[in-house]
Amino acid sequence: MIVLAVDTHLLWQVIWVSLLAGVGISALFSLVILGGARAGDARRAGRPGAAAVYAGLALLAFAAFAAGVILGFRAMITG
Amino acid sequence: MEHDFVLWIVVATALAFDFTNGFHDTANAVATSISTRALSPRLAVTIAAVLNFAGAFISLEVAATIASGIVDADLVTPSIVFAGLVGAIAWNLTTWYWGLPSSSSHALIGGVVGSAFVAEGSNAVFGSGVVDKVVVPALVAPLLAFLVGGLAILIAYRIIGRQRPGPVARGFRLGQVLSASLLALSHGTNDAQKTMGIIFLALVANGSLAPDADVPAWVVISAAAAIALGTYVGGWRIIRTMGSRIIKMDPAQGFAAQGVGAAVIMAASHVGFPLSTTHVISGAIMGTGAAKRVSAVRWGVAGNIVTAWVLTLPAAAAVGGLTYAIVALLGSEDVGPIAVSAALLAALAAALGRRLSAGRTLTAEG
Repeated sequence: MIVLAVDTHLLWQVIWVSLLAGVGISALFSLVILGGARAGDARRAGRPGAAAVYAGLALLAFAAFAAGVILGFRAMITG
Repeated sequence: MEHDFVLWIVVATALAFDFTNGFHDTANAVATSISTRALSPRLAVTIAAVLNFAGAFISLEVAATIASGIVDADLVTPSIVFAGLVGAIAWNLTTWYWGLPSSSSHALIGGVVGSAFVAEGSNAVFGSGVVDKVVVPALVAPLLAFLVGGLAILIAYRIIGRQRPGPVARGFRLGQVLSASLLALSHGTNDAQKTMGIIFLALVANGSLAPDADVPAWVVISAAAAIALGTYVGGWRIIRTMGSRIIKMDPAQGFAAQGVGAAVIMAASHVGFPLSTTHVISGAIMGTGAAKRVSAVRWGVAGNIVTAWVLTLPAAAAVGGLTYAIVALLGSEDVGPIAVSAALLAALAAALGRRLSAGRTLTAEG
């Protein structure tokens, strides 16, 4: 049967890696935006402590996002 | 070094295909960025063109050509390659005319399968290769991207909550510049390779190069330039379809569609299961629209796009096969390719003449 030619293990790998990478990259960038927006609001409201926490969240999320982009770029070159 | 003239016809046709590949697939990288005003149209296509050009130099693994495992490489001749390229170009131009995003790779595979089938019979085509490299990826890519795109936008909306729309829109637009750049670079890396592989194959078949030789610099530069030029010209009809006719998207949806598209393509490349960029981005756009509201997707437009995907392989194969039959009828070694390419050039000149006399530009914008 021609259908047997399909590598189901590879297919499942594509599905879960894509799910993780796609949802992960969008969630991380959304956290960058959320952290940045809330840090700005807190600064304007005169709450420097909260502003620092949100800025830290934005920074962390951005670092993870950038790592994901670099990983993707490497996969593209070597893939 | 026989049939040098035919060889140069094949090289020119491969570069013409590369050019159509560029302008046909510009939309994948820039449509959502233009639609959400993250980038101006001209700046978007300029960035995409430069990154497509740069991407072509990143990797030179042309040994695995586009049709390997699909047709019997030992039976492939320059005339088969020529006819296959004509089939792919014809389908790219047809789908561009109707503003339908479809896979240039599948068109190329279809064209070569059709011409090889007519030239050598069913033994020249590996059915399991077609299933593995075309049918399964064509089913998986849009469905997977639809699902991941839908999930991604729901999570993004949930995280953002009720923040002020101004900074949120600006943030997602900034993210779109990055995701568009990644997609353009990835397109140059993957798709310019196909043309380089085809030209390399023709040079080897003609005896101009040894099979283990390095890819000549002029092949790399010309393939990179052709895809970049095509990208810069921009297939505006397809950009309009992907950017605003499938869904009316906000910057968050634009980023989610592009970010998911880039992530899915790179994840699939990483595990060795290359998917069509066009199928992935189109599926992701539909997913981000449907997750917000099912009726937000113009399902009629989506249906036309899916129909084009289904028709890509058989239509390109039919034109490739027909072209090979005409070439063989006229004399497959020299006269055939020369006569067919002269006829196609005449038809192209007539079409351009009609376009100019109607007062329109020579770009793909109209």
